[in-house]
Amino acid sequence: MTRSTFRDHAWQLVHEPPQSPALHMALDDALLDEVSAGRRGPTLRIWEWASPAVVIGRFQSLRNEVDMEAARRHGIEVVRRISGGGAMFIEPGNTITWSVFAPIDMVEGLGFEQAYALMDEWVLQALGELGVQAWYQPLNDIASPAGKIAGAAQARRGRAVLHHVTMAYDIDAAKMLEVLRIGREKLCDKGTPSAAKRVDPLRSQTGLAREAIIAAFVDTFRRRHGGLAADTLRAHELARAQALALEKFSNPQWTALVP
Amino acid sequence: MHGEYKVPGGKLVVVDLEVAGGTIAAVQVSGDFFLEPDSALDAINAALRGLPADAGEQVYADAVLAGLPAGSQLFGITPEGVAIAVRRALGLAAGAPA
Repeated sequence: MTRSTFRDHAWQLVHEPPQSPALHMALDDALLDEVSAGRRGPTLRIWEWASPAVVIGRFQSLRNEVDMEAARRHGIEVVRRISGGGAMFIEPGNTITWSVFAPIDMVEGLGFEQAYALMDEWVLQALGELGVQAWYQPLNDIASPAGKIAGAAQARRGRAVLHHVTMAYDIDAAKMLEVLRIGREKLCDKGTPSAAKRVDPLRSQTGLAREAIIAAFVDTFRRRHGGLAADTLRAHELARAQALALEKFSNPQWTALVP
Repeated sequence: MHGEYKVPGGKLVVVDLEVAGGTIAAVQVSGDFFLEPDSALDAINAALRGLPADAGEQVYADAVLAGLPAGSQLFGITPEGVAIAVRRALGLAAGAPA
């Protein structure tokens, strides 16, 4: 079996204006199907958030992970994604989030760790070019000397694999701790000082605006892998994602699938 | 009843369960692990349901392994890890139920 590489594919970039948390969940679901079916080419999608959110992993218990009363109080939407992994706390402008939709033959025969490492390589290079020393930390984190800065999750479906990542740009840790039920022990384990009010490794280490970091990421991806033509969502893709956002990802039955 | 276990080099496995008549009557495994296909989670829960509530770790681990759909892939979670979390939830193992 011959595995393909990033350079073997004509990558497309989708970077739309801010969208709701439920629509983001739905877009990952819908575009994974599109790439699997060959209707869409390999794609890098960069997310812009229209509103704050807690995103829990496919197998996490809603009740165990989220303080729903605190989420309501702060106007935070709670959604469940299609991939496993841990909960993320999102406020617009505070994280950098993206999805890579790749052909499955890029990771076929690779173990999970190798597949995560492969999909993170380009962004580790980009961080290095910005002066941020960072590495893939198994199972699914990206770490820097200051601690964890990002978490990744993969989902394989048909002929495609989704690899999405959320990276902390400038997180309000105090608010995060109100909403997420993270033990202090786990927080320390992740290298985040529990007394910190903000977790801002990218902002403080690069001195760059979030938009400038995203532009640098895109530039590195393009240089390293070639292509990355600007693209937009097709009408049928958006329609399917909007239907999924309404019927699945805004549906309390899905959010509380693991109550 | 609630039990948690951090799989060494892996993720957190959480078990919430109820016991009736000496057997596991209801059980929900959860956590920040990865499973393919995602229906494997239901299979794990189903495999544990109805087992005696005083069994050894191996009984639970074997049941989980046997219940997984063919070709399932586990990342950050193991049958043994699930078994330890089950025993903790039942109050049978080190690590008091939360």
